[in-house]
Amino acid sequence: MQVRNSFKLALLKQMLLGFQLSAVSSNSMSVPERKNAIKLSADAAMVFARGSTRWTRGLVAGLSENSNNEDLLRGILGKKYERLSLPCRSSWKIPRSRKILKRCLGLCSRRKKATATQHDVKSGSTLARRLVKKRIQVLKKLLPGGESMAGFSLLDQTLDYAVSLKAQVDIMRRLLKISKASNLNK
Amino acid sequence: MQCLRAPLSDLSVLERQRPRVEWQQQGEEQSDYQPYDADYCMQSLLPVETAFRALHSCGGGVENENHGNVHGSNDCFSNAWPDIASGMHCPVVGAAASVEETSVNASSSSSSSRKRKSENTRRSKENSGSDGKDDINCKRLKEETGGGATPEAEQPTSKENDKAPKSDYIHVRARRGQATDSHSLAERVRRERISQRMKYLQDLVPGCSKITGKAGMLDEIINYVQSLQRQVEFLSMKLAAVNPIMDINIDSFFGGREINPTCKPGSISMIGMSSELLDQAYLQLGSLQHDMFMDSPALLLRPDVNPPAAVSDTSLGSCLNVSGSSVWNTNLQNVYGVEFQLGRGTALPFQSLQGNLLPNNPKMEM
Repeated sequence: MQVRNSFKLALLKQMLLGFQLSAVSSNSMSVPERKNAIKLSADAAMVFARGSTRWTRGLVAGLSENSNNEDLLRGILGKKYERLSLPCRSSWKIPRSRKILKRCLGLCSRRKKATATQHDVKSGSTLARRLVKKRIQVLKKLLPGGESMAGFSLLDQTLDYAVSLKAQVDIMRRLLKISKASNLNK
Repeated sequence: MQCLRAPLSDLSVLERQRPRVEWQQQGEEQSDYQPYDADYCMQSLLPVETAFRALHSCGGGVENENHGNVHGSNDCFSNAWPDIASGMHCPVVGAAASVEETSVNASSSSSSSRKRKSENTRRSKENSGSDGKDDINCKRLKEETGGGATPEAEQPTSKENDKAPKSDYIHVRARRGQATDSHSLAERVRRERISQRMKYLQDLVPGCSKITGKAGMLDEIINYVQSLQRQVEFLSMKLAAVNPIMDINIDSFFGGREINPTCKPGSISMIGMSSELLDQAYLQLGSLQHDMFMDSPALLLRPDVNPPAAVSDTSLGSCLNVSGSSVWNTNLQNVYGVEFQLGRGTALPFQSLQGNLLPNNPKMEM
C-alpha cells in the first residue's frame, strides 16, 4: 500500500513523545506496565497520524474507557483528542436502526420459511451467504468501532486500518532494531 | 446461414413489418407484467420464429437453452433480418420506459444469451443503414431512463459500443438484460465499489491473488488483521524488554519544524554507538532507504569513531538532551553519533481511503 512518509514520520514522532510522557525509560515501571504504555503510545500515535476516521474514533473511544490512559492520550493527541472523542453524528442511531431492520427482516424471512417448503440441503448461495455473514461478524469485532459499520464502510475502514497497522508494525520493528543495536554498546 | 438470404426477397415489406407491429402491441400489453430483460426479448421473437421456420430449414441449428426459447435462432435472424433485430429493441425499450418499478431480473439471463445478444446488436449496427432512426430512438430512451434515474451514480457502464451523449447527469448506462430503475443501478454501483475495495484488500494482503470467493478473501483479511495486531503486541513487549528505549528530545530531534510531506535526505543521529556497530546499523538502516526519514539538517553529525572525546558538535550538544538512563554513560556530556544518510523516500501519496481512490490507479506499491 502506498503510505505517505509524513504518516510514518508523524507516527514515530508521536510515539516517541508518548514514550517520553509516560517515562518508559525510567526503571520504576515493571515490564507489563511498560508494555502497556508503549502499546498505548503506539496506538495513540497511529490515531494522531491518521486523523479522523471511523476506526480512529472507535479506537480512541476504546482506549479512553480506561481512566488511566486519559492523560497520555491527551498528551499525545493534543487538540485532536476532543474532536476524536466526540461520537459520530450518527454513530449510535445507525446500529440501532439496523438492528430494528434486521429484526423485521428476520421475522419476515422466518414467516416465509415457515410457509415455504422445507429443503434438506441448503442451496449453495445461502451457504455462501452464511459463511460471509459469519466472517463479517468476526471482522466487526476485530475492527475498532466496527460494530456500527456495515457493508461497504466496513471494508473501507478495514483497508484503512490494515494499512495503518502495517505502518505501525514497521515503525516499531525499526525502533526495536535501533534500540537493540544501540544497547549492544553497553 | 445462407438459407436465409433466399426467403428475404420473397417476403414483401409488409410481411416484414407486420411482426414488428405485433411485437410493439405485445410489448405494450405485457408491459405491466414483464420486466425489461433478455428473456422478454427472446420470448417476443417466438411467434416470428415459428413462422420463419416454416419457410426455410434453419431449425437444425437451433439449440434450446435453459430459457427454452429462441436463443439459437437469433443467429438465423440477425444477418437476414436486421430490421427485426433492431426492432426487437424498440418494443422492449418502450416497455422499459413505462415500467419503472419492476423487480430486478438482472442475473437471471445466462451469459451465453448475453453473448448472442451483443452479437445481435453489433450486427444490427452494421446493417443499420436504414434503421438508423430506430437505433437512435432506442439509445435515447435508454439514456433517459439511465440518466434520470441515477444522477448520483458514478461510473458509466455499458456493454454496447456507442457512447453516451454528454449531459449534466452522470450517466450509468443500464447493461443489456438488466433493469434500469434507480434501485438496481444504485445497487450495482454499490456492488462495484465493494468489489473494488476487495481488490485493494487483495493487493494488500499477501498471498491472496489466488483466492476468488468473498468468504475466502474475508477469511484472509481477518487473519491478516489479527496477525498484525498480534505483532503489535509482541513488538511492544519486546520494546518494553529493551531497557531502555532511547530518549531523545523530540522537538529538537525533529528539527523543531513541521513534518514536511516531501522527504528530503536527512539523517538520524544515533546515540552511543560505537564503531563496530556503525556498519551493523548502516545495514539495518539501509533497509530504511526506501522509506523515511528525518528531516533535520541541524542534526547532521560528522561520523565519529573515536572514544568519548569531546566531540562536541556544539549545535548538536545543545540540541540533544540525553535523559539519564543506565545505558547511556552519564559521564558523557557530549554526544557523539553517527550520521546516517538515509535515502530519499519514495514519497508516494497516501491515497485517501475515504473514497477518493483514483479509479485509474489501482496498483499498490510498497
